[in-house]
Amino acid sequence: MPPLPASFLLAWRPFLDPLDLQAHWFWLLPPTAFFLAVAYRAVRMPSLKGYWRAVISMTAQIIVAIVALGAAIYVLIERLLPIIPPMRPL
Amino acid sequence: MSSINSVTQTADQTPDSATPEPARLDLPAGVLALAFPGAGHALRGDPRRGLLIAFGVLGLFFTGLLTGGIDAIDSKEDRLWFIGQAFVGPITFIVDGIHQRAFKAYDADALRGHLTGAGANPRPRNAAAPPPRAASPGERADTVPINGAEYRVSSPADDPIAAPPMRKGLAKVNELAALLVTLAGMLNFIAILDALIPSRPRAARSKS
Repeated sequence: MPPLPASFLLAWRPFLDPLDLQAHWFWLLPPTAFFLAVAYRAVRMPSLKGYWRAVISMTAQIIVAIVALGAAIYVLIERLLPIIPPMRPL
Repeated sequence: MSSINSVTQTADQTPDSATPEPARLDLPAGVLALAFPGAGHALRGDPRRGLLIAFGVLGLFFTGLLTGGIDAIDSKEDRLWFIGQAFVGPITFIVDGIHQRAFKAYDADALRGHLTGAGANPRPRNAAAPPPRAASPGERADTVPINGAEYRVSSPADDPIAAPPMRKGLAKVNELAALLVTLAGMLNFIAILDALIPSRPRAARSKS
């Protein structure tokens, strides 16, 4: 994992300037999945019994699914596709 | 004959299972849900659900703003994203208004060329398109008169502690921030529909 740059919070004004997260963007996945699950479950569940358990479950499902999708795309792009069209030197 | 009557009675006794009730629009709840996330459900007597919807939608909204800065919402340069973001409600338009009026800055030469068609940056073919904005570090906001009107433009910093009005979000961070705020809008769109057209189980529960 790349270290955080020294300029990470330098002169950063919250809600005005963007965070320097170019190399750490994937840390946005857990809060995104969590807030998404909170709102979606609140709308969709007929009763709010067991709500937080459902939220945690959905958050975990989203994170695992995205990580698995990323891994699958990595295998497809980096491993499988180079086999299909053989790379020959010009 | 008696068997026909008994069948009719049975059907009359259980109308819910045979014919679904037509969905009835709850317009005040729908409008309130559009005005503020979760408010429609609170109006329908489900304040806890409304609070949770507000927590989720506004959580996504402010995480996007915190990550990408105020540039995550831009009705001029990111119009397609803005359409999705608008469903969060008036708060999106307020943030965009603050962005456009108080923080957005344009390169002075580019703006002059855009408005007058002269100089090194002549008027683009699509005059309605926003002029390019300088993202150079050290710029500062200035107000200059052009064609009788005052415009907020950026100038190279002559003061070493002068700060730019804002820094432009770039690459992944800008895309993800815009996506987070748009997700908030899309989720609130679902909440608006749920408040506008109450789902059957909840309508049945509120009747009981």
